Amino acid sequence: MREGERGTKMDSTEQDFAESLLRIFDNVLLTEGMALSKGYFSDLSIAELHTLNAIGPYEARTMTETANILGITIGTLTVAIDRLVKKKYVERNRDTKDRRIVRISLTRQGKLAYRMHSKFHRVLVKRIMDPLSEEEQKILTKTIQEIDGFVEEQYKKYSNGQHYKKIVRDDTEV
Amino acid sequence: MAASKNNENKSGSQASREKELSPNLQKDAIFDTLTSMLSELLDMPKKDFHPDTMLFEELPLDSLQLYELVVDLETKYDLHISDEAIEKVQTIDDVVEMISFAKS
Repeated sequence: MREGERGTKMDSTEQDFAESLLRIFDNVLLTEGMALSKGYFSDLSIAELHTLNAIGPYEARTMTETANILGITIGTLTVAIDRLVKKKYVERNRDTKDRRIVRISLTRQGKLAYRMHSKFHRVLVKRIMDPLSEEEQKILTKTIQEIDGFVEEQYKKYSNGQHYKKIVRDDTEV
Repeated sequence: MAASKNNENKSGSQASREKELSPNLQKDAIFDTLTSMLSELLDMPKKDFHPDTMLFEELPLDSLQLYELVVDLETKYDLHISDEAIEKVQTIDDVVEMISFAKS
């Protein structure tokens, strides 16, 4: 292959890659939205579901913790939580030790929505990972983590120190 | 292990008393609680559930009902049950063993 041909081929590969990547971003969100609207929790929006994800199914969180995870202001979160309380997915409770602190946690309905949504992600990951060998899975995971790290760096560069969305996993399960 | 005919829903204090029981009695109590939950969820009599009943092959349990069961068990026994753990269980007794192991 001549230098020029290789250059053209690389450009085309890069373009295909970029297009696939953007399609994945869009279609995952679109599919999540469609699955939601046709499922048991059709009164929830994707943004609301991601708020439930940030709160998590177990320990109650403070508003500040949750706003930091989502990368939004307390004011924006307050509006979202008001709506979710009204829809009976979230409950607010005063901290038992410090009554000034308000903690938010998921109701039974909220936990069900969280788990059904996690299942969607799990099925997606399983579909991608299952056909791959253990070695290929390691390489793909490492590559995805590198992309995640790079996007995080870019975000920080442009966001003037605003919080980066990072979903914290609870690893104390059986 | 025999299924109890008692159909009442246990309170939190009863759940804490289960912790004091010997391992076999504790498993009987978990079985009783689990079959009460399944009976209510699926609208089936408790006597239809046995330790070797296959959860997904023999019961009409859809994915939402499965998570209802998981969330209720987590709340009752103060546990975190992962999707990986759910994927490993096949029978009612597997669920009893999983909870008993997690509580020990």
